[in-house]
Amino acid sequence: MKGIVKQFPGVLAVDHVDFELYPKEIHALLGENGAGKTTLMNVLYGVYRADEGQILINGKEVKIRNAVDAQSNGIGMVHQHFSLIPVFTVKENLSIGLRTGGFRLNLNQIESKIEEAERNYGIEIDLDKKVQQLSVGEQQRVEILKLLFRGASTLILDEPTSSLTPQEVANLFKSLRALQSEGKTIIIITHKLYEVLDIADRVTVLRKGKVVFKSMKEGLTSQVLTEAMIGRGVELSNYKREKVSSGNSLVVEGLSVRGDRNDEVVSDASLEVRAGEILGIAGVSGNGQKELVESIFGLRKSKRGRITINGNDITNLGVKERIKVGLGYIPEERKTRGAAGSLPLTLNSVMHDHWGQPYLTRGAFNYKAIKKFAGDIISGFKVASKDENVLARDLSGGNLQKFIVGREMIRNSSFLMSVNPTSGLDVGATEYVRNELVAYRNKGGGVLLVSEDLDEVLALSDRIVVMYRGKTSKPVEQKDFDRLKIGAMMLGEGFSH
Amino acid sequence: MNSLVSILLLLLPTVVLGMVPRAAPIFAAALGEDVDQSAGTLNLGVEGMMLLGTIIGFVIDFETGDFVLAFIVAGLASALLALFHGIATISFKADQVTSGTAIWFIGWGLSGFIYSSLFGKASSPPVVKTIPTLYIPHLTDIPYIGKFLFGQDPVVYALLITFLAVQYFLFHTKAGLNLRTVGEDPLVAEIMGVNPDLYRYLALIFGGFMAGVGGAYITLSLVGSFYFDMTAGMGFIAVALVYFGKWNPVRVLIGSLVFGAVYVLYLALETYFPATPYQFFSMFPYIATMILIILVGAKAHAPAALALPYIKEG
Repeated sequence: MKGIVKQFPGVLAVDHVDFELYPKEIHALLGENGAGKTTLMNVLYGVYRADEGQILINGKEVKIRNAVDAQSNGIGMVHQHFSLIPVFTVKENLSIGLRTGGFRLNLNQIESKIEEAERNYGIEIDLDKKVQQLSVGEQQRVEILKLLFRGASTLILDEPTSSLTPQEVANLFKSLRALQSEGKTIIIITHKLYEVLDIADRVTVLRKGKVVFKSMKEGLTSQVLTEAMIGRGVELSNYKREKVSSGNSLVVEGLSVRGDRNDEVVSDASLEVRAGEILGIAGVSGNGQKELVESIFGLRKSKRGRITINGNDITNLGVKERIKVGLGYIPEERKTRGAAGSLPLTLNSVMHDHWGQPYLTRGAFNYKAIKKFAGDIISGFKVASKDENVLARDLSGGNLQKFIVGREMIRNSSFLMSVNPTSGLDVGATEYVRNELVAYRNKGGGVLLVSEDLDEVLALSDRIVVMYRGKTSKPVEQKDFDRLKIGAMMLGEGFSH
Repeated sequence: MNSLVSILLLLLPTVVLGMVPRAAPIFAAALGEDVDQSAGTLNLGVEGMMLLGTIIGFVIDFETGDFVLAFIVAGLASALLALFHGIATISFKADQVTSGTAIWFIGWGLSGFIYSSLFGKASSPPVVKTIPTLYIPHLTDIPYIGKFLFGQDPVVYALLITFLAVQYFLFHTKAGLNLRTVGEDPLVAEIMGVNPDLYRYLALIFGGFMAGVGGAYITLSLVGSFYFDMTAGMGFIAVALVYFGKWNPVRVLIGSLVFGAVYVLYLALETYFPATPYQFFSMFPYIATMILIILVGAKAHAPAALALPYIKEG
């Protein structure tokens, strides 16, 4: 790829990028969120069209206008959000858009061809299962198989490890090496240094849409890569903790909750968040974490069990009452649940408090007080915003998250629940949010941190509870933190089946 | 109570025999809507498309006496209306509910307008001969089942063939899988080399054609003449039956037959209870539909991209 430029309204996402890929290599495309990695690869895959630049394969210019063009040039891409239909079987998913073999959908014939591909590449999946019954790791294998089945010789994987357990990552890397020895070329888009050092042969680092570093892997250190990636040597994950304890706690006992499909997705879960600690919940997404948090906050009814804050039973209270008791919530979906996008920051700031003094006086909003409150959040939590009247949806993800974190902390809540607080944020905002969570803890607040990022849970938590199929493990104390051990628990080790 | 049971028992043969033609128009429309929705387009304009079918079918049959031609032209006219819905919602990404509602009123207005401008001055309402039912010697004469199996009109058999073809198409052909993919996630379809817009247009046109045929069936087979608003909400019931059918033509067929049976029952009960205003009984088929929908509840998996416009980025 030569001189690629891609402009989005207001952002130059990719700025004259040259990118070379050699056959049979594993190439890491490294960079922070928003560095333009995915955009660049989407240009190669035909999802976006470049404003400038050309794509050359073996020295010949090719035009890639859509994914089909890319596929016919042997390029396949696995996006972070899989291109699979959850309600279709694996077989059906692999058969979409097939052009060969007549009008009839002959799944048996297709099956034997898929099995051949499975054998060739050493990938094993039950073809008759529906995709929604598969784990994330298995779905990823379906995606890879799909591309291979369509004759891809170059595979682009966008953040392939982002929701995998350490064991699944090891498996993935094993398959990637096998594919490489079968003659495939692989690009992985990532922001994780150890992945580059682990598996790549060559690395290209992007920062703010530009290539800032290119090298073979030999002799690279994480220090060098970090500096290339963020332009300054930042020490990650060293948080100062102070011992505080007031004896207060948020306690969940034997909680069972039904999910959207009316099946029991949280079963007999128990945990205790003490004041002055961060209790991390580790788990592969979809093991009941979301429903647990929603149930504690009162968004979802519990079937059985008890929830108390400082000894007060809140099991049957509404959301509003729980907020009054001192519960705060930083949902993962910051744009749709954490804030009302089309409302200004002023009104977003008082979402939990607009029903009383000083923000509501004689039945009408007191905009002066509201504006002051929003202003306090903006200045107190370094939200980059022109003023208090900016619409929530016009803030960047990082700034909106800072605003929501600020809102939940500045009001006197004693316990805070935060789900994937840094997903999609750049390094700067991530560090800021994490530091604020620790600061809140150091001031005596209790945090229930749910995150799919195991490193985040390990870095921030005082104790960790693992969730697997709706059940909770016993808490693991900080001195016993071990990546692999917790990874194994996330896959069900130590849980009764 | 006993007398009501005996009346119902007495009515059973009438209901069984009569439910098929009563189910036919709504099934035609629902089958089309099923294909529409499987591709992710919600067509709420079915009612309007059926209404247009009632008048176009009537006019063509009245002028030419050729009921086959009448059905085809009625279908094509409604398909044209569906094409407008497609241009608005597929090409211009307009809201499908709003556009569908507009299409309903356009069909409603057009049907009245066409009738008034052609027959407005007629002193007695014009009529056409309803299409003949099949008679196969011996077979049709078999007691009980003969008339049911071999004594329907040709359109019913044509619908049955269409039903089998749609069932096969959706679940046993590549194009059917592609169409359902478009209904689940058009972006995935596009990445896999399927053109979502094309599939949605073709599905809509098929749905429009079937709604037109359903409308024409009312005038040409059930009634023999035209009056205003004669579909009486059947287009909406067709949409509801697709939900009841969980997007599976077999279940849509069953739902249509239930509707047809209750419809015949209401017509019959009306004569048994002349003291009760007939409007009371005419609610029955609609109440029955509502009960069906409640029974299905939220358990069904709807096509994930239903009623969502497909907007490409970049």
